[in-house]
Parts: sequence; C-alpha cells; structure tokens
Amino acid sequence: MPVDSFKFLPGSIAAYYRGLPAQREEPLPFTRLSKPLDECRFALVTTAGIHQKGVEPPFDTEREKREPFWGDPTFRRIPRDVRQEEIGACHLHTNNRDVLLDLNIALPVHRFAELEAEGTIGSLAPTGYSFMGYQMNTTEWRERYGPEVAALMKGEGVDAVLLTPF
Amino acid sequence: MLARTFEAAGLSTVLVTMMPYWAERLGVPRTIGVEFPYGHPLGRPGDRDTQTAVIRESLRLLEEAAPGEIREMDLAWPQDLDEAKKDWQPLEPSPIIKMMLERRKAQRRQQEGT
Repeated sequence: MPVDSFKFLPGSIAAYYRGLPAQREEPLPFTRLSKPLDECRFALVTTAGIHQKGVEPPFDTEREKREPFWGDPTFRRIPRDVRQEEIGACHLHTNNRDVLLDLNIALPVHRFAELEAEGTIGSLAPTGYSFMGYQMNTTEWRERYGPEVAALMKGEGVDAVLLTPF
Repeated sequence: MLARTFEAAGLSTVLVTMMPYWAERLGVPRTIGVEFPYGHPLGRPGDRDTQTAVIRESLRLLEEAAPGEIREMDLAWPQDLDEAKKDWQPLEPSPIIKMMLERRKAQRRQQEGT
C-alpha cells in the first residue's frame, strides 16, 4: 500500500503543497552505520516545537504570527528523563493536544529506553533535540543550528539519529 | 534538510515522515513513510505497540538501506477519515493559512466588486 502524503489534508491545501517547488540537491550525503545496532548510541530529533518548561523558553511564535513566512530556527534540548508534565508545545500548524499527552509520538524517549534495556540498541544519548517545524527558509538550519546540534550529538558519542518531522 | 546536515557530519540518520512525497522530491538519506495525520509520526498517544513497530522498522532500515531509500509501512490510521482530517489541525488556523484565507477573501471581494 503506497502512503498517500496528502490523505489528511483539505483538498485546497493539498493542491497548494503539491505545487510547491522542490530542488533536489545532489549528491545525497550518506553515512553508513559503522557498528551493530546493539553498540550504537542514538539521539532523537523532532520538529514538534516542544520544549522543557521552566528550563528553556518556548519557541518564538509571536514573530511567526506577525510574519507567517518566518519560523523560529533555533532548537531546544530535551533530556531523556524529562517528565511528560514538563513538556511545553507551541506548534502553530498542528493540534498540540496529543504530544502533550504522550511525547513518544514525536520524541520516543521511553520507547528507546525500552530498546536500550532489552539490548536492541547500545544506548540512548542523554539529550534529544526539538526544532520548530514548518520552516519555509532552512538557511539557518543548514548553516548554523543543524551543525550545532550535530556537534552536540557527537560530543555525547552519538552514532545514529532518529528524526521525526512533525 | 536536518538529516542531510547530520549525515554530512558523519552521523547515520533515519527519518520517519507522514509525507514521503517530500522526502522523495528533496532527497533524504533513509526514510520511513507512515500514513498518519500530521503531528503523529509515531502514531497515537499511548499506542506503545505502533510506536515500537515504527521504531523497529526504522532500525532495520538504518542497517539495510541503500542511499535515498524510502520504505513505506502498511499501517492504517484507526480514526474515521473526515474526523481525522479535522482532528490533527490546530485550534485556530496557522498564520500562513490565515493569510492565504484572507487573501482569497480579498480576491473574491475584488472580483465581486468589478
């Protein structure tokens, strides 16, 4: 069954998205897994726009409301032992109700802790990362914040990353 | 985009997306496609079995994928389609949708005026 990427979108928005230009850049960067899964350290990265309340500030959605083509390009750190009630969410393009009920739908820290405990993966890194989705302009991700997060992950010994665009 | 940056930095990545259409057009190192509403890459809250199934498939892809591979999962969303189409949406339209709706209204007013 092929996945219909537009199944849950209203028709007019689906047509708009289909028509957006996309430039595929070659070559495609590709890093082969250097060791077996049960020796790999994983990090989780989402664009759910979540943050840890009381530790880091929410994303700047006020500016996005004023400038709809702008999105906050910065990131937030989410520790693996974060408690559900510490999760804040301010994504303007989806209903945040479900991620506020269970952050595992975006940043599956508990599922990865289980895989670590059963020995399927080597370990889950101490820190996960959250970006704000729906970025029309990804220059700052590419030039600044993406490389910063890559360096932070490598600093924690990460080998592999699960990404969940939201 | 972030996946490409991380791969270039020497990290192996796998991306789980509701929109494999974009992954194909933009070029993503390894992609798992799921037919879920937006905001639910790993399924519904509390649905541990689906979350784990998607992650296990992602781990397999991480080991096996050729560059650019997209693997689609056959997982049906359990909600009624009309309900699901509304349920994932924000309580108020996003800034960009609001702007588009206002533009369309203005265009319509203009057409009606002439």
